[in-house]
Amino acid sequence: MSAQAPARRQGGFPIPLVGMLLFLSSEVMFFGGLFATYFSARASFAGPWGPPSGAEPLEILPIALPITLILVSSSFTMHAAVRAIRRGNSGALRLWLIVTLGLGLLFVSGQAYDYTVLGFGISDGVFGTVFYTLTGFHGAHVFGGVVGLSILTARAGQGQFSARNHVAVEAVSYYWHFVDLVWLALFSTLYFLR
Amino acid sequence: MIRLAAVCLPALLLAGCLFPPEPMTTQAEEIRTLFLIIFGLGALVFVGVEGFLIYAVFRYRRRDDRLPAQHHGNTKVEIVWTIIPTVIVLILFVTSMFTLGSISARSDNPVVIEVEGFQWQWTFRYENGYAVTGNFIEPPVLVVPAGDPVRLKLISRDVIHSFFVPAFLIKVDVVPFGQGQAPNELEFTVTAPGTYRGQCAEFCGLLHASMTFTVQALAPADFDAWLAAAASATPTPAASVPPDLHVVELSADNIAFSVHELEVPAGEPFIVRFTNAEGVDHNVAIYDGTEILFTGTKVTGPDVTVDYLVDALDPGEYTFICDFHPIQAMTGTLMVR
Amino acid sequence: MATTTLAPGSKTYERSWVLDWLTTVDHKKIGVLYIVNAFAFFFFAGLLALVIRSELAVPGLQFVDESTFNQAFTMHGTLMIFLFVVPVFSGFANYVVPLMLGAPDMAFPRINALSFWMLPLGGLLIVSGYLVGGAAAGGWTGYNPLTQEQFSPGDGTDLWIMGLAVVGTASILGSVNFLTTIFKMRAPGMTLFRMPIFVWTVLVTQALILLATPVLTAGLIALFIDRNYGGSFFDPSVGGDPILWQHVFWFFGHPEVYIVILPALGVVSEILPVFSRKPLFGYKAFVWATIAIGLLSFSVWAHHMFTTGVVFLPFFTFMTALIAIPTGVKMFNWLATLWRGSLVFTTAMLFALGVMSMFLIGGISGVMLAAAPVDFHLQDTYFVVAHLHYVFFGGAAMGVFASAYYWFPKMTGRRLNEALGKVHFWMLFVGFNATFFVQHSLGIQGMPRRIADYSADAGWTEMNLISTAGAFLIAASMVPFVVNVITTLLNGEKVGDDPWEGNTLEWATTSPPPTYNFDRLPPIRSERPMFDLRHRDDPNLHPELAHAEIATIEADS
Repeated sequence: MSAQAPARRQGGFPIPLVGMLLFLSSEVMFFGGLFATYFSARASFAGPWGPPSGAEPLEILPIALPITLILVSSSFTMHAAVRAIRRGNSGALRLWLIVTLGLGLLFVSGQAYDYTVLGFGISDGVFGTVFYTLTGFHGAHVFGGVVGLSILTARAGQGQFSARNHVAVEAVSYYWHFVDLVWLALFSTLYFLR
Repeated sequence: MIRLAAVCLPALLLAGCLFPPEPMTTQAEEIRTLFLIIFGLGALVFVGVEGFLIYAVFRYRRRDDRLPAQHHGNTKVEIVWTIIPTVIVLILFVTSMFTLGSISARSDNPVVIEVEGFQWQWTFRYENGYAVTGNFIEPPVLVVPAGDPVRLKLISRDVIHSFFVPAFLIKVDVVPFGQGQAPNELEFTVTAPGTYRGQCAEFCGLLHASMTFTVQALAPADFDAWLAAAASATPTPAASVPPDLHVVELSADNIAFSVHELEVPAGEPFIVRFTNAEGVDHNVAIYDGTEILFTGTKVTGPDVTVDYLVDALDPGEYTFICDFHPIQAMTGTLMVR
Repeated sequence: MATTTLAPGSKTYERSWVLDWLTTVDHKKIGVLYIVNAFAFFFFAGLLALVIRSELAVPGLQFVDESTFNQAFTMHGTLMIFLFVVPVFSGFANYVVPLMLGAPDMAFPRINALSFWMLPLGGLLIVSGYLVGGAAAGGWTGYNPLTQEQFSPGDGTDLWIMGLAVVGTASILGSVNFLTTIFKMRAPGMTLFRMPIFVWTVLVTQALILLATPVLTAGLIALFIDRNYGGSFFDPSVGGDPILWQHVFWFFGHPEVYIVILPALGVVSEILPVFSRKPLFGYKAFVWATIAIGLLSFSVWAHHMFTTGVVFLPFFTFMTALIAIPTGVKMFNWLATLWRGSLVFTTAMLFALGVMSMFLIGGISGVMLAAAPVDFHLQDTYFVVAHLHYVFFGGAAMGVFASAYYWFPKMTGRRLNEALGKVHFWMLFVGFNATFFVQHSLGIQGMPRRIADYSADAGWTEMNLISTAGAFLIAASMVPFVVNVITTLLNGEKVGDDPWEGNTLEWATTSPPPTYNFDRLPPIRSERPMFDLRHRDDPNLHPELAHAEIATIEADS
């Protein structure tokens, strides 16, 4: 048999996951840049740091802490989805995807509702600007994850995933956990580190 | 070799201009020394590397089809030519730090002058209250004593500018820091009386190129005399405005005049009622060609109106312009009939 | 057993040439699209340079007003960096890297196409400023508060921000693609340390793009929020910090300049060995030097801010000077490659040598600027303009032309005319030095940058005239290049797989390659598989082959 093009290696860390991890490192730098502006503004701010006078100081209840718990639990449900399809259970995959998606939507709605009751806006001084920019871009990323989860749900409904063939689910799960981690950092910074 | 010389000669002719201007402050002398050291190191590296490159190009031209010896590398050689640049870098760093420490020294009793940069000119304010603001036609002169330390406080009214005097081999940015951060300072001691050009060196918008000034260094006694005289010069009292004078109206907004043609009667004084609608400084000045006929005082808006009283003019066509923004949009024709 | 070709023999599936190029996901076509798009922006930004140099030839405003001039240098810088010199190397890399790795395409072909098409979109957004009352005019560095709404009113700056965000996102997607391809799709036998050196420089470049560009995106978004939503990031009048913009911008901006130059240095490292018939001296040292430059590039950003008064000068002077060391190591390795080589001066080789000479000058002027007290005098003067053009143009752009002459035969099956190529090279070399060497002097004498006009009694007129003459010579030098490309495409000298006796795998297939790239690959035992193949019967070279590792998976034989 004459020489063919060399056979491709089977196994090894899947290419789409390598791509997702690389993409997530760029996202780390993006949020890093935004966090840097937060800390820089905080460090050089003369006066009390927080919402402008007239608005209430940031409190973890009744919204911030609950939506944090919602997002954290959505990481668990996401992982349940991944474990389900690794076992080949497409039905359970779909269920857990829908739950995760729902929790994600709850988070975004909660965030949006919080915006309406906070009492200050993006144009209300340095704190307002960095607060809304950071939480806003994080929320947008959660929404992007929700879109991804919806696509996965639709594909799962069509039976496109199996135990051996579900790399898209794994990739989206990496993204989802990342978005959760960013929120934990953001939540601690805004509500505890202050 | 002839080819080599032909390449080098024009380069050498240009090299004369590769040395900094005559340093006119004590700090500039130090900077110039550092420049020469680093330039010398750079020139050495250049001659060595470029020299070898040119040599290799001639010496190793392909002459036959033999394959040269396939050297892949040599660790010892790599170490040597890593160490040599490291040494050069350390020399550069250490000498830079010495120079930096030396030029950053602060003296106890400098002459303090506040330098305010704005789009697109400068105001210099002295401790005794005297201030001068430049305009496009007449850039301001920063008068300083030679031989005594001078400390400039650099304040910006709007965007970032930079205070640059080539003869002092230095510039410092004029930054509109917020939040109570102290303004940048520049301290120098001029070594000899003289006049030295300067201009803004941080791109600051439309007329960045026009933001020039001059530094004039006087002997200390002359400086003291000048400063006393400048502070005590009283502004000419505003003349009382006679009634029944012709009034033309003009306003400025968005760096533009509202009208570009005004008409006034000849042979009698008239009033230019000028409204500055914005926060940017403007004025109205009247020229006959390049001859200044009238310079209105600076008006800082927004929504400030002044009456400029202008002396009688002969019939003809003149130009009115804003000295701070001598651009098309702030130029017009004054018809005097 | 007969081999079957994989290219379709029948004409049952045919579509128009235009639709093919618009919808292609083939890395080779996408590479060509990148290169053509980049050159279009190169010529436009070059025209803007001629506007600048024409105006500055003598004192007085002869041709344009200040506003037009300020837009011209802003757009010239922005377009040259973001729409020419970075994407053109993405284009060459797109074409060449999968071939050099023995791969059939990039890891994500459709994202590859998306990354390309976002470029003309972003570029058009930036340029459309001219149609809405004025393009961005705050310099390519967009310093605040100058680019805030009250000092830069109008849509031009907003379009500039949006266009750059699109271009930036495109390059981040591209970097994910390149890095995945390099890590995962190398042919068997090609360990990381047997990759061509050009692939190494692409690897580090793309890693820098991946990690630095998002910071720019964050900054651009922050500026957009300031301008349009009442934000307080950088505007001191509402509590913001104008210096914060400079930190964010330069944290990206400094790695950006290495993103620009590293691929060019990689191309030189491919061309020198081929045309000296010797391997790259110190391949491993070169790899480590490239990685060191990449890492160090994140630690020097504030050397652009020495005169702001708020920077810790000793640290940044030290780290900036430190980068000279790995850069010097590379230069010396190149010299050692030439040493006792058998040199032939094709146009590609001339441009590679040009890169070395010009980058040397640019590097030296950069190290001069690293010394903070010297920078106090030279910052924001024409000395910096000279420095950046020696590295960006003399280094990177000459590297672009080196790549063009070197890989044109592979891409088209025809070799560019060497006589015309040499005319192009010498005109460009003389014109370039005439334009920019005097600018060192102009800066040292105190001429600031970004000024539309200067005083007649400053003493700068003669040097400006020389510089302008050089600029027109550069423009003229493009004529033989364009003529060469057109006539060669129409009726140039045809070549086979390996016209240069190259070292790397792109020369192991036809010119141009088939869609699937390779029918077969030679054994990969070193960074020069084609050289090894050509000299496999040379008894003097066997010892090197004897030390090679055996690939873990071998093709059927």
